Amino acid sequence: MRAPQMQEAAIRARAAILPRQRINSLALREAAAGYFFIAPTLLSFLVFFLIPTISGLGMSLFDWDFFSDPDFIGLENFIELSQDKLFLTTLKNTALFAVLATAGNVGLGMFIAIGINSIQWGWLKACLRTAYFIPFVISTVVVALMFGFLLQESTGVVNYYLARLGIDRIPWLSSSRWAFRSIVLIDVWKHVGFFTLIFLAGLQAIPSELYEAALVDGAGRRVRLTRITIPLLTPSLFFSLIIALIGAFQVFESMYVLTNGGPGDATRTVVMLLYREAFGSFNMGYAASMAVLLFFIILTLTVTQVRLGDRWVFYR
Amino acid sequence: MTRAALSSNYAWIQPPGPWREKLRSSWRAYLANVVLALPLILGSLIMFTPLLWAVSFSFGQPHEFFKLPPPVIPSSFRLDNYHGVFERVDFFRFFLNSVFVTACVTIAQLVTCSMGGYAFARLRFPGKRLIFIAFLASMMVPQHVTLIPVFIIIRGLGLYNNLGALIVPYATSVFGTFLLKQFFETIPDELEDAAKIDGAGFLQIYWRIMLPLAGPPLATLAILTFNSSWNNFFWPLIFINSADKMTLPLGMIYLRGQDGVTNSGVLMAAIVLNLIPVLIFFLIFQRRLVEGVTLSGLKGI
Repeated sequence: MRAPQMQEAAIRARAAILPRQRINSLALREAAAGYFFIAPTLLSFLVFFLIPTISGLGMSLFDWDFFSDPDFIGLENFIELSQDKLFLTTLKNTALFAVLATAGNVGLGMFIAIGINSIQWGWLKACLRTAYFIPFVISTVVVALMFGFLLQESTGVVNYYLARLGIDRIPWLSSSRWAFRSIVLIDVWKHVGFFTLIFLAGLQAIPSELYEAALVDGAGRRVRLTRITIPLLTPSLFFSLIIALIGAFQVFESMYVLTNGGPGDATRTVVMLLYREAFGSFNMGYAASMAVLLFFIILTLTVTQVRLGDRWVFYR
Repeated sequence: MTRAALSSNYAWIQPPGPWREKLRSSWRAYLANVVLALPLILGSLIMFTPLLWAVSFSFGQPHEFFKLPPPVIPSSFRLDNYHGVFERVDFFRFFLNSVFVTACVTIAQLVTCSMGGYAFARLRFPGKRLIFIAFLASMMVPQHVTLIPVFIIIRGLGLYNNLGALIVPYATSVFGTFLLKQFFETIPDELEDAAKIDGAGFLQIYWRIMLPLAGPPLATLAILTFNSSWNNFFWPLIFINSADKMTLPLGMIYLRGQDGVTNSGVLMAAIVLNLIPVLIFFLIFQRRLVEGVTLSGLKGI
């Protein structure tokens, strides 16, 4: 039987067999089934998201050391945060890291994707895509430990080969300026393949007729890149910028493993400080207020990006 | 004879001009390919070299680390460092814990996400839209906001320092539910109606009709979940404090804290032991993983 006929038959069968009451009880059964099927997800959502989010927001208004009774102090935690030099340093580090890592990951990812896409040999394309993507599946902890070994100042392999090229030893992890750069570089090493994939998907979605039409009109390589490829990649760019920034503002693992925030506080981020305040010194309320602030920063940035996106993102 | 065959039969009749041009342009394309590919190939070496060095050093002897130039190909394939890993920590236990946690999380998510996805896509119930929007909104909130209350809840459930702490909060996923909902919406109504006429209940429709069709999205979800659960570090760091409950990422930090391990071949050996299963996993599921990441782009960052 053909599909529309089948549907018609189904409707007719339903109307014939089911009096009104049965339909009502059927709707009831459907609703019950609906709640049954979403029950696990809904329960987990309530217990591990909704209740914790609300109490996390509430907790930021209290002074609480986990063991004694919490004290309501209003917005005092936030006032303290605005004067806490260490917090402001971590905020500055986090923002700088977010900008550099996002620029590196997204910029380089786009560049690599355009390069890979314009290669004509399928096998080479596939090999390069795989090569750039591999670090993404390795855990950040393993990546950080590995680079900690390779980037040692006096005995590290990297410095040895740089020396052969005539470059002085670089204090990759021991000077505060270089430690920060190293962590950005390692982050780009690990994540650039992910963004390459997103841009490759965007490139494949560009219809080839556009390029053919441009060829007919005699457009060169550069014109095709700036007038077709890049404008039509802006949706991928927009999406990448948003998720890269959200991820970068929550950075924790590579710093925790590689430098533990040091030297000094040069690589300490907001989440690292939050972790230490909460589980090291048990300033639960203070740590919660950091999380809330971080959330609002991320939210503001995302909303701003979405607003600004209308101006430069090219939607077909 | 078709037109295509005709034109290919008489291809040699074509005037020589365009043909020569075509050859020249194909040479130019070849050259352009090589010029483009070279920096990309060099770049991909940067992605690979650290991994090769890790393998090389995992076979090295302690005194070789101070020898310059550092051996790129190890002078001997001695397994002392690998023995060192197993002497210092119960590495196998970390591995088993990781396998157990990851398997539980992945299986649980396949069940709960397909159930939720089915309900959101195919069933009508009051409050559906509101609940779904609330679910989507929760994806925007960083996990650190919920961290401290969840810590208290996990302690309250008696799951502190228990592998359950790494499984229960991850047994469901809003992202996965969304992924499956999108898929179930594409299944034609006729299939479901036919089953209803035959008297099938919703559970039977879910089990007999929906699930067997959902292979590809379930595979994508399984692989993404597997990868993020296997690499999860923050959660074990907070909830696990005894060595016999540690998963691999936390176990690596524990190993580094042992005597004579910091920045040594033993650590490199442990890193290689970590890399082997991940790379095998990657090679087997590469296509699906790439598909999943490009499809979603949301997870794992």
